[in-house]
Formats: sequence, structure tokens, C-alpha cells
Amino acid sequence: MDLALLPPEVAQAHGSFPAALAACADLDGLMRLKGAFVGREGSHAARLMELLKAAPKEEKRDLGAAINTLKNVWEEGLKGRQAELEAARKQAAALGNAWDPDLPAPCPPTGALHPLTRLMDRLVDVFRPLGYHVEEGPEAETEAHNFDGLNIPEDHPARGSADTFYFKEQALLLRTHTSPVQVRVLQRIAAVGPDGLSELERAGGIRFLAPGRVYRKDEIDPTHSPMFHQVEGMLVGKGIGMHHLKGTLAYAMKALFGPGAEVRFRPSYFPFVEPGAEMDVRCPLCGGSGCRVCKGSGWVELLGAGLIHPNVLRLAGIDPEVWSGFAFGMGVERTAMMVSQTPDLRLFFENDQRFLKTMGGLD
Amino acid sequence: MLIETKALTAELPALEGMPTAELCELLAGLGFPVDGVDTAHGAPVLEVDITANRGDAQSHRGMARDLAAKLGAGLAPLALRPLAEGEALLPVRLEAGAEAPYYATALLELGAGATPGAVQAFLGALGAGAKGLPAVDASNELLHRYGHPTHAFDADRIRGGLTVRWAREGETLVTLDGVARKLTPRDLLIADEGGPIALAGVMGGDGTKVSAATRRVLLESAFFDARTVRATAHRHGLHTDASHRFGRGADPRMAAVARDLLVQRLEDWAQARLLSAWSAGALPRAAAAVVLPWAMVDRVAGEAVDPMEAAALLQRLGCEVTDGPLGATVLPPSWRSDLGLPEDLAEEVLRLRGYERIPSALPPLESSPQPLAPEYLKRRKLASRLANLGFFQTVTLGFGDPLEDQEGHAMGDRPEARTLRNPLGEDYSLMRGTLLRDLGKVARVNLERGAKEVRLFEIAPVYTAGPEGLRETWTLALVWAGTLGGDDPLTGSRRIGDPEGKSYLLGMLRSLGVGEAELGAFRRWALAGWEGGTKGQAGWQFELPLSALPDAPDRVIPKFVPFSRFPAVERDLSLLVGLDQAYGALEGAMVAALAGTPLQDLRCVDVFRHKSLPQGRQAWLMRLRFQAMDRTLTGEEVDAWVLSSLNAAKCLGADLRG
Repeated sequence: MDLALLPPEVAQAHGSFPAALAACADLDGLMRLKGAFVGREGSHAARLMELLKAAPKEEKRDLGAAINTLKNVWEEGLKGRQAELEAARKQAAALGNAWDPDLPAPCPPTGALHPLTRLMDRLVDVFRPLGYHVEEGPEAETEAHNFDGLNIPEDHPARGSADTFYFKEQALLLRTHTSPVQVRVLQRIAAVGPDGLSELERAGGIRFLAPGRVYRKDEIDPTHSPMFHQVEGMLVGKGIGMHHLKGTLAYAMKALFGPGAEVRFRPSYFPFVEPGAEMDVRCPLCGGSGCRVCKGSGWVELLGAGLIHPNVLRLAGIDPEVWSGFAFGMGVERTAMMVSQTPDLRLFFENDQRFLKTMGGLD
Repeated sequence: MLIETKALTAELPALEGMPTAELCELLAGLGFPVDGVDTAHGAPVLEVDITANRGDAQSHRGMARDLAAKLGAGLAPLALRPLAEGEALLPVRLEAGAEAPYYATALLELGAGATPGAVQAFLGALGAGAKGLPAVDASNELLHRYGHPTHAFDADRIRGGLTVRWAREGETLVTLDGVARKLTPRDLLIADEGGPIALAGVMGGDGTKVSAATRRVLLESAFFDARTVRATAHRHGLHTDASHRFGRGADPRMAAVARDLLVQRLEDWAQARLLSAWSAGALPRAAAAVVLPWAMVDRVAGEAVDPMEAAALLQRLGCEVTDGPLGATVLPPSWRSDLGLPEDLAEEVLRLRGYERIPSALPPLESSPQPLAPEYLKRRKLASRLANLGFFQTVTLGFGDPLEDQEGHAMGDRPEARTLRNPLGEDYSLMRGTLLRDLGKVARVNLERGAKEVRLFEIAPVYTAGPEGLRETWTLALVWAGTLGGDDPLTGSRRIGDPEGKSYLLGMLRSLGVGEAELGAFRRWALAGWEGGTKGQAGWQFELPLSALPDAPDRVIPKFVPFSRFPAVERDLSLLVGLDQAYGALEGAMVAALAGTPLQDLRCVDVFRHKSLPQGRQAWLMRLRFQAMDRTLTGEEVDAWVLSSLNAAKCLGADLRG
């Protein structure tokens, strides 16, 4: 169409249409532009329609076609831009509704079992499949259970008031180890029932763990505490030898420290076992090359053990010619410190929630 | 004990050239783990851990003897010039019987001379330090090298003859360390005519000690009973090298030998002239033979051990072994007083074979495993549940301070009966009657260190001392304080010390099966001295015996409870009630009005207090939930039920909020 035929303002508007279209930033602006070009009244298109109405009859056809073309250009342009703007608006709306899942969210509170409880529970769980149950005894013990029944000589230094806490009024002490539970259980299962048999004879044996709190007269320092925990284990049966002890402990240590754990079984001495043994584990800090934790030896002492001393069985009323067994005992704090490389024993009793959170757990 | 490797090798030449690490492994395998290696003195010095039963190993020769048995090697011969017994220049009387059966002595006149440099270095490496007095240094050197304690008196300061006897009541002795000691009739001593001059086997006396001015020495090489020496050392708190060796069982046969070695050293080092060597008493009889059934060795070892091998190992240790039909008859050597039972000998066989050779096996399960005790399970499950509810388990020591123990303990409890005779200190002097004090301290420390919220519990025994004696009661204590959510800003910040916190805690406890009535000590906990400044530092605490909690059996078989498959209908009622309205009464009245209806739940789900409400009133939003087992409920019947519950509420003064 010949633009010269158009009124000059319409021609000018048509010339600036593409720029005006692009300049529309939102749908409202686009609607205003739409009104100005193709609106029913007062728009450029309406103006052209008036022009067409007033045109001589023979020109109407050509002019009409030309106006239509022009209107189509405008309408197509407006429609295209509208689609663009709507898409942009949808995208913006979608962004507005979106939530970044990495933003911090409120968290349900998490507590923890104490690391010492966890280790003791773990030991019970490790021994449970082997048929061990849990036996317990009082903390305030008699000398008979804590020392005499364990073949500990009457003049043994551990009995002195420099090592053991005694009560003021009663003839009781605070047990210095979990071993008096051995004595209590042995006495119980040796007692003959109305059927003429003891519990030991009826059952054919016994195996149990005795976890618990024990007391020794040590000042509190990075490696000592007047109260600490032990887990004691005992098995009584027939024909029990050192191979059974070694097999049991090897299983347990691998269950506790992982299948790669390297352990060492060596002779030692405790008055309530014979033969006596200790089990060491490869130093978890240096792996055996020697460090402060293992005092350069590459090994860390883990537990004491041995076959139950015949005197211990005899004192409880069990015939050592018939019955034999083994016992072992582990310091819980010591093991927990070694495994976790906790530098100071006192941390376990300080109970800082930050310590408990990292060291404890829910199982 | 310290072992200097050069001196050890001198006793056992087979160790020549053995790397220290290998020697340490060898020693550990024999039951002597090495706790440290000191290389500051030339030849490495090993810190060897020796168990209390092995008095015989407390010397270089003793340790070499055990290594020789392990290696099947020979000890270096003892450089000894045995002395002939001579005239008793002063009488020695033994009055203590079997506790002091034998006393060898010698009188020497000292010449010029000094302790050889090599011996001074040897003693220096062991931290013993040479004294520069040959008689003292030689005695020390013998002790470390051969393990037998000896003593040298200044002979010119001894009055009359020697008597080995029990102390008399009231006697005193100033020992070498300058301490005046009151003796008891159970102390064994050496006396001259003027009274005690030495504590037998423990320490010499100051009055007869050898000095630079000493010209004549009287030597002592005796045998004293282990138990007697231990008791005296313990009684006087006097643990010496000598008491350690006698106390763990010395070799009686070394007594005469050690005297001769000591004389020899003084002759060689100090040009001493022997005036006479003599002895009193007789060596104790050898220990009885032990019968070792070979079957016991097999049982203990976990495999058949060749009796020939076992006998040979025992012989290497110095035992005399004669084979018999029931097993071997074994006579242990004089230095192994610890070998008294067949089990002891079986251990020796295993020890020399090496524990690493013991096979590994799990014992067969002959009896049915026993279940875990309900008390144990209850504690364990409770701890686990509380941890899962967000609480931290604590472990505290369990001692109490009588000053803080004035309140809170059970009726009829006498704190004196929970008191220790020999506590670590006044504030550790009794066994606690409550866990809350320790738990409160832990809470305070945590808050002071910046924790916003403390959630703590402890499960431990507490002590009560009643007429029937001391009782330990497993107890649960819990402290919850600070600001809900702690450091988490998204949880909002509500103060736990408010009543809202209490109801939250009670709700949690109800889920554990405890009602408020069962909570022994439930009260507000506040951080002393903090409350004014920081209002959030308060909370709730309680303590109760575990017997108040329901059991948590190992195995729970749930019983099926039918549930409805028809839809539930929920209605809300917003009620205006007085600010003093008791909730329980209102809920009870509404529930009572709905008896016979399929009401599933009725509770307040929101409390609204605002100035826009009529004065003295608050709004409770009650939510009612109906569901029938057998049909879908109709709107009309539900409306009728809601109305009847509203009317019940109105009877208590509630209004429908417009």
C-alpha cells in the first residue's frame, strides 16, 4: 500500500509500530498500544475505516484491501507480543512460587544416648547371638563378693582404703570391679534346688555379661576417675579351654572394631583366673608404628581375661573337676576413648551437649 | 620395672644382636609387655610391666631366665666364688620362725676403692643412681641384676649381736629415709642389743647406715616371708625395691649366693678384707610337687599337646618332671613360688608354646540362652525413647556433698548411713540420694557455655539408707530448660519454663506411660542467679524411680483393634470461657454429653486470648471428631451431637463465640 495515501499521522504511527511493540514491557502497556492501533474508537484503524467510508466508490475496494493488510500486520504483531509477554509472566510466576529446598528448615530435636551407654549396649548386642544374657549386682558390695570369692589375697593392696571406698557405718564397700557379679551368679547357680540339682547342673552351663558402674579411689584427671564402667563376661560349661576364650574374644572384637581389627592374645595375671590373658588391639591412632596412645608399642591393652580360677569355682561351691569356664573384663571408658580418640576422660562426665551430640547416638 | 638391654644380654648371650622391637614382642608374648623404651642411656632401657605373681622376673637375670626357657637357650654362668662358712663373729638369733628362717651374713673391713664406672652407669640407666659408696652400690646392683635384696650395716654402729624378731609394742625405728616409725608387734625387724636397726626386707635403719666414714660393714642376705614383708610395707606406706621383691616371693636359694656375690664385689671394688662369713637358720623346704594331668593341659590348650613337649618346656623353666600314670609329677624351681596348682603349670606350658598357637573356637551352646531381664530392658528402652524424643543422656559420678544433701532424699533415709569412710573429699563423701543435683549442675554448665536449650536425662541408681540397710534404686531424672528449639531460629522461641513447656513435657511423659501423679519430684527448675538477667534460663525437672514406669517387655504381641472404614466428620466449636475455667472439667462435661455417640476425639486445638474478647474471657477452639464403625454419619445427627456438647459447655458458663 502506498503510505502516501494515508494520513500523515497514521503513516508515522505505522512507521514506529515495531519499536512501540518491542517497548511494551507488560500486558497493560500492550493493551494500551492495542487500543491505540486497532481499538474500536479513536484508534488508527478506526480512523482508516472512517477514511474508507468517505472514499469515492471506485477507490473503496483497493483502499479496503490495503487497510485490511495494515490492520492484519498490526494485529499479528500485537498477538505475537502478547504471547511473548504472557510466557514471561508465567515464568516469573513460576519462579515466585518455587522453593529452594536447600533453604534451612526447622528440625525436630535430636537427643542421644551417652557414648558409654552406647558402647555397653553394643557389647550386649554383640554377645547376645552367642547366648549371653545380662546379670547385674549392687554397687555397694561386701568384701566377700568383691574380694574373698575372687581368690584375692587378704593382704592384697587393692583392699586397702587407699584404693577402695568403704562405707562408714555398714561393712560394705563400693565395688571396685564388676567381678563380684561373677561371684553372686556362681553362688546362685551352685545352690542345690529341691530336685537335688543345681541350676548349673539343670542348665548345663551359663554365659552372661555384667555391665556396670565401678568405683576406685582415684583423683579425677585426664585418664582416671573415681567412678567408671566395666563390662564383665563369664561362661561356665564343661571342657572349656583357652581356645574357647580366644575364639569368643576374637569374634567379639571383630564385631566391635570391624573385621579388619588385629588383636593379640598374651599371657597375664589376675588372681581370679588361671591361665590369665590380656587382649591387645592394634593401636587405632598409629596403626602399629608407635605413638603416644600406645606408648610406642603399637598395641593398646583392651581387656583382661582367663579361665576361671579353680579356687573361684570352689569357693562358690562348684566342682572345678567337673566345670570349667572363662571370664573377661573390659574398661568401658578406656575403650571408648581409644576408639573415638577422645583426649580426656573427664569429657564423659562433664556431659556437654555438644560432646554428647557428636559422641552419642540413638542406637 | 626397668631392664637395661646390655645387662640383659650379658645374662643371656643368645639375645646378642636381637632388634629391640623383636625383644619387646618376645617379652609381651611371655606376659611382660613393654610400656616404653628409653634410648637416652646408650643401650635401650625397657620399661617392662611385670605382673604381681612374677617376683622371680624382677631382675635382669630373672627376665633372662624366662627368655632362655622360651628360646631354649642357655644363661651365662654366674661369676661366683662360693665362700666357706666361717666363725660367727657376732651371734645371730632367729626368733620369728618360718617368717625369717635363714640369715646369711659376713663381716668385712673396707679398703680404698670406688664403685666401677660401668656399675655406676648401669644404676644410672635404671634411675637408681650410684651413691658412691661401694657397699650400697653393690647391694643395689645385685638387686637389679639378680633380684635378691641385701643390706649392709655399718658394723661399728651395731651393739652386740643381731636378733631377727617381731617388734614390741612401743618400739620405734628411724628408717634410712629419716622417718621415725612406730612399730607394731606384726612388724618383723632386725635388732641389736640397743633395739631395732632395720625393718626386715623393707628398709634399713638410719642409726646403722653405711656412710663415707664406715670402716667395717656387716652384710645381710636373708630370706623373709612374702606376706609379712607386704604387710609391713603396706602398714608403713614404705614400698621399696626390697619390699617389692620379698613381697612377691624371693628365691630362698639366692640368699647365700647373694651374700657371696656381695662380698666378692666389695673385695674387687673396695679392697675389702673378709673377716668371716657365716649364717644362721636353714633354707625353707622346697615347695611340694604338683601333679599335672596331661588331660588338663589338653583341655586348657584346646588341642592335644605332646606330653614330651610339655615336659620339656617345664624342664626348661627349671621344673623337675617325672612322668606317672595320672600325669606328670612336677617340682617347681625354688624361684617360682607362684606355681602351686596344676592350672599354673598348664599356663606355663601354654605361655612358653606361645598364646598365638592356641586355636580359636566358639564354645558349643549347651543350654538355652536366657532372656534379658525386664529391669535391664526397661532401662535400655526408656533411654532409647528419651534420646529419640530429643533428650541427651548424661552420666555423672554419683557422689554427693552432705551440705547439698539437706533436702530431697526419701523419708526415713539417714544420709550418714550413705556416707563413705574414706572419701576423696568432703564434697564426694556420700552416695547420692538424688540425681537431680548432678543433673542440675550439668544443665547449668551447658547454659553457661551458651547452650540455648538443655534437654538432659540420667538413669542411675540412687541410694537410700533406711532401717533395713542400704538400698540402691534405679531412678530416672530429667531436666529440660532454656528456649524451645535452642539455636534453631525456625522453630520459634518459646520459653520452656512457661506453663506451656510443662504441658508439653507432661504430654511426652504420658506417651511413656507416666501421669503427673506418678512424677515424684516434678518442679520448676531455674538457673540460680541467672533468672533475673535471662528469663529463658528456666525449665522443668523431675525424678522418679523406674518402678513407677510400665515394663517394656522384650517381645510385645499387639492385640488387633478394629478401625472404621467409614469417613470421619470433624466439627469445630469456638467457645468463650472464663479465664479461670478449668479445662479438664469442660472437656469432661462435653465428653459426658456425647456418651453413646461415635465420638472419636474431642480436644482444644487452640487457645486465644486477646483484648478484643470480652473482659475476663478467652476463646477455646474445640475440635470434635465423629466416626462410626458401621456407616457414614449424616450431617443432621452430627449437628445434634455438637449442639448437645455445646449445651453441656454452656452449663459451665461457656458461650458460643460469635
